[in-house]
This record gives sequence, structure tokens and C-alpha cells, in this order.
Amino acid sequence: MKKMRFPFSAVVGQEKAKEALLLALINPRLAGVLLSGAGGTAKTLLVRAAEDFSPDGRIVELPIGATEDMVFGSIDMEAALTEGRKRHMPGILQKADGSVLYMDEVNLLRRDFLRTVLDSAAQGSYSLERDGISYTSPTRFIPIGTMAPDEGLLDGAILDSFGLFASLDEPVTAEQRVEIVRRVLEYEADPDAFAAKWEEQDNKLAEQVQKARELLPEVELSEAMLLLIAEFAARAYCRGNRAELYLAEAARAAAALAGRSYVMPKDVEKAALYALPHRMGTPPQELPPEEEQQPVEQEPAPQDVTEDNNEPPTDEPADMGNDSNDLDNQPLEEQAQNEQPPENPPESNPDGLAPEEDIVRVFKTLEGMKIDMGRTTRKAGGTGSGKQNTVRTREKQGRYVKSEMNSRSKELDLAFDATVRAAAPFQRLRRAQENSARALIIRPEDYRQRVREKRTGINLLFVVDASGSMGAKKRMGIVKGVIMGLLQQAYQKRNRVGLIAFRRDTAEVMLPVTRSVDLAEKLLRELPTGGKTPLAEALECVSGQLYGLEHQQEQQETVVILLTDGRTSAQYKGDDPVQRVMEQAERLSTANASFVIIDTESGYLRLGIARKLAQLLNGAYYTLPKLSEDKLLKILTSVQ
Amino acid sequence: MKRTAIYPFTAIVGQEEMKLSLILNAINPSLGGVLIKGEKGTAKSTAVRALAALLPTMPAVKGCRYHCDPRNAAQLCDDCRRRMEEGKLPEEEVTMKVIDLPVSATEDRVVGTLDIEEAIRAGRKAFEPGILAEANRNILYVDEVNLLEDHIVDVLLDAAVMGINTVEREGISFAHPAKFILVGTMNPEEGDIRPQLLDRFALSVMVRGEQDTAKRTEVIRRRLEYEADPEAFCAKYETEQQALTEKIRAARVLLPEVELPDLLLEKTALLSVELGVDGHRSDITLIKAALTHAAYAGRKAAALEDLRIAAKLVLPHRMRRRPFEDGKLDWAKVDELLAE
Repeated sequence: MKKMRFPFSAVVGQEKAKEALLLALINPRLAGVLLSGAGGTAKTLLVRAAEDFSPDGRIVELPIGATEDMVFGSIDMEAALTEGRKRHMPGILQKADGSVLYMDEVNLLRRDFLRTVLDSAAQGSYSLERDGISYTSPTRFIPIGTMAPDEGLLDGAILDSFGLFASLDEPVTAEQRVEIVRRVLEYEADPDAFAAKWEEQDNKLAEQVQKARELLPEVELSEAMLLLIAEFAARAYCRGNRAELYLAEAARAAAALAGRSYVMPKDVEKAALYALPHRMGTPPQELPPEEEQQPVEQEPAPQDVTEDNNEPPTDEPADMGNDSNDLDNQPLEEQAQNEQPPENPPESNPDGLAPEEDIVRVFKTLEGMKIDMGRTTRKAGGTGSGKQNTVRTREKQGRYVKSEMNSRSKELDLAFDATVRAAAPFQRLRRAQENSARALIIRPEDYRQRVREKRTGINLLFVVDASGSMGAKKRMGIVKGVIMGLLQQAYQKRNRVGLIAFRRDTAEVMLPVTRSVDLAEKLLRELPTGGKTPLAEALECVSGQLYGLEHQQEQQETVVILLTDGRTSAQYKGDDPVQRVMEQAERLSTANASFVIIDTESGYLRLGIARKLAQLLNGAYYTLPKLSEDKLLKILTSVQ
Repeated sequence: MKRTAIYPFTAIVGQEEMKLSLILNAINPSLGGVLIKGEKGTAKSTAVRALAALLPTMPAVKGCRYHCDPRNAAQLCDDCRRRMEEGKLPEEEVTMKVIDLPVSATEDRVVGTLDIEEAIRAGRKAFEPGILAEANRNILYVDEVNLLEDHIVDVLLDAAVMGINTVEREGISFAHPAKFILVGTMNPEEGDIRPQLLDRFALSVMVRGEQDTAKRTEVIRRRLEYEADPEAFCAKYETEQQALTEKIRAARVLLPEVELPDLLLEKTALLSVELGVDGHRSDITLIKAALTHAAYAGRKAAALEDLRIAAKLVLPHRMRRRPFEDGKLDWAKVDELLAE
């Protein structure tokens, strides 16, 4: 289908994104560009508008709902069925050869697809091994991705695979806003007339891009410019030497776009704006001390802590207990997003070749861009990865991503396309064998079933002591703050949150596990506190909630966060409250959930009941005599 | 089962904002839909289904699975394009429809999939259109839109961006026009809606049950009357229904001619800057809604009053929400900014 395009030159502002896009289209060695911007910042529009500037005037799209066979190619079903021949049907990767491969919402694309796409772009070829087809084909394309950062970020390794990066979240003036509305209305009223009006400008630009492409092989980098590039890369504390290569290629493209066959310092400056923001590293001596404390790896097992009877560690996780069930094993290059902008870059200008003021000026700009990345990182919950958990699902729900051989499960979620493909090569043989005129003879061994996948988060169930002991009001207030905060970003992580408070004689579900901010606002308006501490009842209540959650078939993992000082009071005469707590904990320990126990016990005389609970529940144990929203969030971040 | 009668739109008591938002979308299909939020039993679904009866007819290519617009060459499906190059396209008048997207729909039903029958019978790959094909140039209605599965939301958003459904699945590589008016209803207490999807709704309204006793009584009276004899009830509202249909039709004709004073553009930019609204979708929608409202009122130029009403429908769901903030709009500030 022919697609209507908004003229590239008619896009108001967004000069950086436009330039980065053009550079990537001119020089295929740049490994494409990633454009990031909030909704309604014209990212998608801009990429589609650039179709005329693509090397072959095409843009091949990889839609987010694409199945594996369509992306990577497969057996040609028609040829197999009608001619009985095994023929290869090219996938989107092969169709993109010599062109641009555009991935909208690239941060929501399956990580294994994305990895393969970016690796193929880097290697210039793709090998297909599936459906009885073995095939390697060269394919050279320019990957272009767009994303809205509030839907989750990409991790460092994937960011690094895009040569250039540009953000569209640039400030816009009121005049620009007015102009944008005017042009959009004009375009919608009469797209053809609008396109005609801008045709000349777009054509001129297309010509300029084409000339730049032809000029590119001749563009040279002088020794001085190479030194300048090295200087930029060093000051950005980039790891590896990819940054230098991309800087050099981007500078050459910038020179070519300007119609020059030699690179000037201003080309390198431009290149730095797009090649550095997503790979700037941390100056080694300035590693923020906080980062080192943040546990990325799993910390010692719970036994270590319980055997150690000294002062319990403060704010230190004992055990996460639960692996996050993400499917991708990409290394997390947290530093790429988390570090502070380098202030006061060290003086190193021995030969006077690098124009010092210019470098400082460029880094000032870069700092601004980096802080922007940092902000989105924080919004994503602090880990910086923004990864969503995806689970394979056995229900007939979720996105159909690929097919596999039938694993004899009782219920068959048949992938018709894959089944037909599997049966196709044998049709002539079978028709002859069975002497049948049927067009298609399918046997059980052909059955393929769908592999579906859906994004899930986790359930965070808070269990909080609201009894009369000191600070109950404050504690509840802090927990409410954290809950509301978690719900605000619930859509990124796909998490759900619930709250059980225990006081007086019972434990009460204040907030059933939910994703609704509105409901939380309504139900948590008042937080009653005071009275006794029925810890055992609270645990019983948790059992009930977990049972309910398990039957919702949401396949979300549940984490129970228990905030208690371990003190518990008797409900009736002759009752041993501690004994009952332990019994309930034993019952709970078999439940399908993981536990985090936050011990708020303070003072010299400590009973250590919370710690015993953690042991019984095989949960993570933290002591936090002074509760605060920040500390609680920090623990939750490490749990997620 | 054939449904004989639909509760008439004009018989819905109160809920003026909701009714207005639906009418504006019927007048201007390019406005971008509406999200109706509210508790159960507030006539949300009734209103959306009732809208169908007021929708105007439109020319469509005869026999086209996507009911392409024969007068819009840019939005034709491949088939119609081929036919157009060969000669004139046959036309027919069709009524705009409300197409349901059930929350439980699977992705293959939504975007379309491999035609299995054709594959097995003729060994040929063919595309079997899904709900998005039906929804082209129609209203796509999602009840409980906040409960829609993520991957369905993804494909919905993908199609909504360009008005094209791009299918790359199950051996099928295909694209067809899918320009639809997205209308969603939700109960906010059952979970929030994904921000990206929220942003796609041009307008949003919050409905509450009528509190006024007289009005509540009227709601019950009419409902009972309708259920006792739907056809007689509908007949009673026939004149009003026709008057509204005619008003919508007239507004459609007038809309392209409604003038837009510069002042409105400037005020819109001011609103967005002062209220800190992200992106430009809200600016564009504000202006479009104001123009459409002017057309509905039968005026040849949009005025500040139109913009004020547009702001009430466009801005509330675009305010960024922060913890402990309601994300509510400061209407006093809006009024102040819109003062002449």
C-alpha cells in the first residue's frame, strides 16, 4: 500500500534528529540511528518522511507484531505445495537489503529479534537455518529505530549497536507550536497540495544527500582531525573503540553533507553530538560511591546471614531469593546510562591541535543531552535497564511470536502457517503414497504449535504493621507514598501493587493487588493505625491473597514485602503468639511467592523474630530501623 | 440474532459532555476518538452504540473489503488502486458503523491472518482480513479498553499512527488502510490505561451517575419504557434523532469552511506551554476540536468559546500525573489564559 508522507522539510524544528537521520542515511557504516522522544514529537513521521533520502528510495518496516518466520525468512509455502520444491522465502531482513530497516517502538521489540537484526546489520549478512532450509544471504541495511523512553529503555549493549543517537525532546517555542499546528492542518486538508508546496525543498535536500553519498568515499580525515576524534572519545570516557570509529564516520558524513572532501573541526563537533550521548562513560575516579553499593549480582545466601549472629547488616540485602524471569541475557551496561556527566574534563592538550574552547562547548551541550537520558533512567525505576519481563505462556493468550514442534501437550494451540509449511515439502510424495487428490495432506508429525509470549510485571504485596507501636502513622505514610510512586510507573514495569495492614485484632486488605492509581487514591485516603499487633493473622491473610492471585492466571510472580518489627501480640488467653507466627510462616513458605522482610526493630534489646521469619520463608532480609521512602524504593529496585 | 432496536441517542438523560464528545467525532472523523471513563451503569456503552444510528452515510468502493474511499486516492488499498488505474471505481453509499473490538480478541483476529481455507484448498497464500479491516473508516469501539492486552494495544497503536495496518505474520506480508475513530470506555478502578494509548485518544470525558433525583427518575422511566416496547420508544424519538442527524450532516459540510483566527492558535500554544503538556498532539487536537465545535454550532469562524469547550475535552487526560497529585486541571488558570 502506498503511504502518504509528510514532507521532510515541513517538519518544524527537530534539527538534531533531522541531521542525525541524514548522516545515518548518507553513511551506511554508521550502523544507523536511534531516535528517542515522547509521544507526539514526530519521530515516526520524520523517519517515514525521509524515505526519499534512503539509498534506494525505500524504507522497509519491521512492525512490532511480526512473527519470526516473516522477519528472518522461511520456506516458500506456495512453491512447496504446488511444485513440491523447497524454496526459500525471503524475510524482512533480506527485503531490507540495500535499504533502510525501520523499527518503530524499538524498545518494545523482542530482544532476541532486535539482537539478530542489529548483528546482521553489523555483519552485513544473515544465516537462516529453519524449516529444513539452510541459507546465508548478504544483506546490507541501515537500521533506524524510534522509541518513547517512558515505555522503557534499551540496555547499553543494544544502544551501543546504533551508531548515532538523537533525542527529540527538545524545547519548543510558542511560535514553533503555532507553526506546527498550522502545517498539520494544512497537510490534512489537502495532502497533495501541501506536498507540492514543499516538493522543491525536499528535492533539493534529496539531491544534496545523493551528492554527499557520492562524495563520501573521497572524504579524508587529516591526522589533526584523527587526534581531535581521539580526544573527544577519551573525554567521553567511552569504553572500547567503537566511539572513535563512529565519530570518524559521522564526521566524514557531515563533511560530505556540507559538500566538502575534507573533515573540519566543526564536522567532528557535530559527529560528537550524535555519536557520543549514548556511549559516554563514567570517569574512573568519579565513580559515585553509591553505585558500588548497589548490588547488581545476587548477594550471599540467607544462611550466611543467619549463621552470623553479630550486628545485622543495615540496608544490605541478604538474599534476593528470586531470579527475575527475563529471557534475554544481554549484559547490563548500567554505567552507560547512570553516570554523572563528567565535570571539569582533565587538561590534556599537549600539541595544541584540539581547539580547547570548542571541545568544552560541545561537552556542555552533551552534558545537557546526557542528563536527559539520566532523567528517563530514573523514571524507569532506577535500574536503568527498563527491561520488561516477558514470559512464555501456555494459555492461548499473548503474542504469537514463533512456532515449535508439538511437545505432546494435551491442548494444541496449532500454528496453521507453520504446520502447512512443515507439511508442504512432502505433499507430492504423500499424494502418491495415499493415491489421494487432496490438495494438502497433513500428518501429526507436521503439527507445529504457537509459542506465545506476553509482557508481565510482578505483584508487590505490602504487609505493614499499623499497630500502636511507635511510628505506625509515619510508616503507613511512607508505604503509601511508595505504593503511589510504584503505581505511577506501573505501566512501564507492568507491576501491580497491594497492601495488607495489620492492627487491632485483624489483618485487613487495604488495597487489593491492582494497577489502578485511582483505586489506590480512593482506598488509601485514610490509613487507620493503633491497637495490637496480630502478625500471625497478617500472614494468614497473605496466604489467602496469594491463593487468589494464583487463580487469576495472570502468571505474574508475587513478591510479599513484610514490614514488621517482629513483635506480635496474643489474640486470646493461653495463646503463644510467636509460635502461631512461626506456624503461619511455615505454611506460607510453600506458597508460590518470594518474600522480603524488612525488620524495623530498633533498640538494644532485640528479639530477632523478623529474622527468624525471613529464614523460614527463605526470604530476603533487611534491617531498616529508620524507614524512609528512598530506602524502601532502593530495596524494591534491587528486588525487581 | 438480529437486534431490532437500539436505544436512541437523544433519549439518553444528561451526560452532556459524553454526548458532545461523540457527536464531535461523528462530525469530524479525523479528530481522533474519545475515551469515556466512569463507573459501571453510566450509559457509556449505550451512548456509543446509540451513536451508530446518527452516523452519516459515505461513498465507498463497491465490493472492497476495506470500504475504501473512492475520492481519496491516497488511502486506497492495493486492489482499489489497481482497479482505479484500469478505470473508474464503482461506488456505493454505505453507513458508517461501530465495530466492536472485544477485550478477549486474539491478535490474528485483530490484524488479520493467513486464510487457512484457501491455503489448504488451493495451496495458495491469501490474507484473511481482521477487525482492523472492518474498522477502516468506521468507529472502532473497545469496551474496557484498559484491560486490553499489551500486544493488542501495540498493534492498535501501530495502525493508529499512520492509518495503515501492516501485517508481517504467519507467512503473510500485507498492508491495508485502517483509519478508524477509536472510542474506548473504561472504569478507572479496574486499572489504568497505558499512557501511549491514552495519548492516542483525542478527547476524554469522565461520566458520573446522575445525582439529581428528578433526572434519576427520568433515567429509570425511559429505560422501563424502552424495555416494554423498544420500537414504540424509538418511534417517539424519531423526530429528535432526525434533527440531530441533520445537524451533524450540516456541520460536516460546514467544517472545511470554518475559519481559524490566529488568536486561537496563539492561545493554544500558550495553554500548552503554561500547562506543560508534552508533544504536539494536544495542540492539534485542541484546534481541531474547536473548529468542529464551531461547525456544530453552525458558525463560520471558531471563537474562544469553542476553544474553551475543546480544552475541557482535550486537556484533562494529558496532564502529567505525579505522586500525590491528582493530575487535575486548574480550570481557573485555563480560563485566565483564555481570557481575551
